[in-house]
Amino acid sequence: MQHSRTKVIVFVTVAAGGAFLYYRFNPVGAGFFPKCPFYCLTGLYCPGCGSQRALHALLHGAVGQAAGYNLLAVMVLPVLAYTGLAPLATWLRGRPQGQSLLYRPWFTWSVLAATLIFWLLRNLPVPFFHWLAP
Amino acid sequence: MEPNAQPSVSSPPTGRPKNWLVESILVTIFCCLPFGIAGIVFAAQVNSKFDAGDHQGALKASANAGKWTKIGFFVGIAWIIIGAIIYGVELSSLIHR
Repeated sequence: MQHSRTKVIVFVTVAAGGAFLYYRFNPVGAGFFPKCPFYCLTGLYCPGCGSQRALHALLHGAVGQAAGYNLLAVMVLPVLAYTGLAPLATWLRGRPQGQSLLYRPWFTWSVLAATLIFWLLRNLPVPFFHWLAP
Repeated sequence: MEPNAQPSVSSPPTGRPKNWLVESILVTIFCCLPFGIAGIVFAAQVNSKFDAGDHQGALKASANAGKWTKIGFFVGIAWIIIGAIIYGVELSSLIHR
C-alpha cells in the first residue's frame, strides 16, 4: 500500500501547512490569500465566500464569528467529522459503506438544497439575510 | 467498486458507486466555484439512481460528479497560483520602486 501511504503523507502535510497558515495569518488583513474568482467576475457572493476568514476564526475557536463569515462552512463541519469517523464505525461494526448517511438520497438532496438556498439568500439585499453574507 | 471492474447487465454492481459528496462540498466552499455545485447535483443523482435500481445511471452520475469535482479543484488550484504570481509581482514592484 505504498501509493495510499504517499497519499496520506501528502494530505497530512498539506493540511498541517494550511492550518498553520490560516491560524497564523488573518485573511482580513493579509493580502496574499486568494480572492474568490466568482466574486471577482460577478460581484456576487458564492456559497464559499468568507470561508477563509471563517477558517481563521475556527482555528482560533471563534465558532460564532466563523458562522458570521460563512454559515455553510460551519454547518459542514459535523458532516466532515462524520466522514472521518464513518470508516472507523464501518470497521467496528462490519457494516458496508453503502448504508452511510452520505449515501442516502434525502441527505444529498438536502445538502444541494441548503447550498442553493444559502447562495441565494446571502446575495439578497434584505437586512434580515445580511448576516448570511461574509 | 473497483475502477477497472466491468459493469455488466448480467451481474449488477453490488456496491454503490462513489458519490463524491464530501469532495464536492469542499470544492464548493474552498474553491468558490459553481463546479462544486455541479458535483453535488451529480452526487445526489448517484444515490437516487442507485436506489431506483438504475445502476448504470448511478455509475454515470458518479463519473460526472468526479469530473466536476476535479475540474473545480484544479481550477481552484490554478486560481491560487495565478493569485500568488500577481501578489509576487506587486510585492517586487513595491520593493524595486
